[in-house]
Amino acid sequence: MSPFLSTALMICLVALLASGILCLYRMCIGPKAADRAVAFDCVAAVFICIICVFCIRWNSVLYFDAVWILMLVGFLGSAAIAKYLEKGRVF
Amino acid sequence: MPTLTELVVAALCLSGTFLIVLTGVGLVRFPDVFCRMHAAGKAGTLGVILVVLGATVYFAGTEQDVWMRGVLAVFFQLLTAPAATHLLARAAYVCDYPLAERTAVDELRGYLPSRPDQVFNQE
Repeated sequence: MSPFLSTALMICLVALLASGILCLYRMCIGPKAADRAVAFDCVAAVFICIICVFCIRWNSVLYFDAVWILMLVGFLGSAAIAKYLEKGRVF
Repeated sequence: MPTLTELVVAALCLSGTFLIVLTGVGLVRFPDVFCRMHAAGKAGTLGVILVVLGATVYFAGTEQDVWMRGVLAVFFQLLTAPAATHLLARAAYVCDYPLAERTAVDELRGYLPSRPDQVFNQE
């Protein structure tokens, strides 16, 4: 791996960490449940990106399956919270 | 000297990360929950897709089946992210979450039941 790509990946990791901290801040102060659900979605997105960046950095595809599993779990979490907010009446 | 693949991977990852950072900033700064969903649903989705495509392009030459897994992940993200955002926004509107003070038009007023318990009791 060239130093160019590893530097770019380092910048990506730091920026993703900052974005995750912002999302966690919103998850802490979010006035109601829906704000926290949105923040949870964003934390899942940040996790997916971090996994991808580490896959490239470690030159291994071991964790690549976790990407779309996390996507599906994040969708299920959001749908469950929406169903809970509407008291069981989603559609 | 970086190769062409590394240039493309770095460009995809950096642009996706930029969009994710915009998502975080929008989450913190936007006034109400619907604006935050706007930031999270659009910029977050495209950011994740770009970073996953970057990893896919990086491994496409060496690993055999990663190409299909990456495209599958992008497909899942395009399929689930709008649905999740729509479900959450509808639930928040039905539960009478407050709109921002600067909201000019509320086109959903009158179309959705605003008290879920009453609707629930009518059935």
